[in-house]
Amino acid sequence: MMNLLAVTGWGTSEMMWCALISVILVFGVLVLLVGVMKLFGVIFAEKPQHKMAPVESKPISTGQLHEEEIAAIATALKIYKSALHDRESEVLTILSIKRAYSPWNSKIHGLTKLPR
Amino acid sequence: MNFLQSNFALESLEKFFGSMGFTAFFSEMGWGNLVMICIAFFLLYLAIKKEYEPMLMMTIAFGMLLTNLPGAGLFHEELFAGGHVHWNIFGSHDGSIVPGLLDYLYLGVKLGIYPCLIFVGVGAMTDFGPLIANPKSFLLGAAAQVGIFATFLAAYALGFTPEEAGSIGIIGGADGPTAIFLTSKLAPHLLGPIAVAAYSYMALVPVIQPPIMRALTTKKEREIKMKTLRTVSKKERIIFPIVIATIISLLLPDAAPLIGCLMLGNLMKECGVVDRLSKTVQNELMNIVVIFLGLTVGATATANTFLSPATLKILLMGVTAFAVATACGILFAKLMNLFAKEGNKINPLIGSAGVSAVPMAARVSQIEGQKANPSNFLLMHAMGPNVAGVVGSAVAAGLLLSFLG
Repeated sequence: MMNLLAVTGWGTSEMMWCALISVILVFGVLVLLVGVMKLFGVIFAEKPQHKMAPVESKPISTGQLHEEEIAAIATALKIYKSALHDRESEVLTILSIKRAYSPWNSKIHGLTKLPR
Repeated sequence: MNFLQSNFALESLEKFFGSMGFTAFFSEMGWGNLVMICIAFFLLYLAIKKEYEPMLMMTIAFGMLLTNLPGAGLFHEELFAGGHVHWNIFGSHDGSIVPGLLDYLYLGVKLGIYPCLIFVGVGAMTDFGPLIANPKSFLLGAAAQVGIFATFLAAYALGFTPEEAGSIGIIGGADGPTAIFLTSKLAPHLLGPIAVAAYSYMALVPVIQPPIMRALTTKKEREIKMKTLRTVSKKERIIFPIVIATIISLLLPDAAPLIGCLMLGNLMKECGVVDRLSKTVQNELMNIVVIFLGLTVGATATANTFLSPATLKILLMGVTAFAVATACGILFAKLMNLFAKEGNKINPLIGSAGVSAVPMAARVSQIEGQKANPSNFLLMHAMGPNVAGVVGSAVAAGLLLSFLG
């Protein structure tokens, strides 16, 4: 930008104008940003879920289960199932691994020979 | 005997004592160095014991101490006389001036590197969510910048040049890197006093602001509860820094270095794919630059520049700038309330957070709000104007630079 100070010798009135213009520009830029951000919000903000249409409550006839009763039964079943232990196969598997002979793992060399 | 008659030992000792820094205290302006060392001790006390912005205050005070040790030759004002870097002296090997460690490090301030790097770190540590959720906060951030321009005029009336007045006014932005960036461009000889004033007053925000906040608001206004902010999506958080950097840089190219770096740091944090970079700029890079910035800014506070009536005026203007900025933020919030519907009213206490000083100013709003109504939580609402203040002060700095630079 042009160096205004170099172009004009500033006095009090120029300083006042500079301050006033600067304040207006700061507000102008930030008001513009408010507009941009509002637009931004409209486009990118997460839309709230559409409200579910209210379900008309039907009268409960004799013999029909109430919602709370169903929930109570479901909870009881869940607790019962989670309390059960898993049945294990009870079969133990032992894998035998063949190792190549090495004097480092030889029992014979590891034992102290008894003196005759 | 020749051995006893020789003056060699005497001359050597005389030469040694002459080169000692202690003797320089008795030379012309030597008392000035002594006074500056005492000021550096006092600032070190404030930083360590009172924890006044210790990260920067401690390094600034130590830089001040080093530069005022006679004979140490760590910093030479002559290399930067007239606001320019005298590269010819840097490169010359005639021995007239041997650049010291702080001379080299100061190039980072002079070339505007450190403040911008600090802004990358600040951006990576800042959550712009409250501002995105409530864009009106930008207006409160703008209102607080009026303090900068009011002080700009007041400083001019006190006899400072327009460039010096602009640098002093920016203290009201309560943003250290911005103040250093602008001052290094407009009035580098005032860098020491302005940095000390800016960081001292930022540390004193909890002391300066509350009386003004209480004086300008009624209890009923302080009790206003604000609506919970909406959730901000990840997409918004990612696009925000890109859009802001582009728009402001196109409107105000002089503000581009500060805003660009601030938004770069924020994008690193929000995009989520460069965690390593984000952590680096928040920690290692930030800490390294703080050391260099503090030391070199402190080094500019030599006895010649600091011990003058201008420093006292700057300290006075600095606190005025803070007070006016705080008052303007609060009054503008009250003005906004005149046009707001019932239920959408703003608690005017968050207006004071429009001065940057992140997050101290927002915390002060929260504390004052809770004093009036213990069930009121203003912190997140105040963070909006607070981070808007960072953007606003960078815009104000860009404007001053374009007019005066």
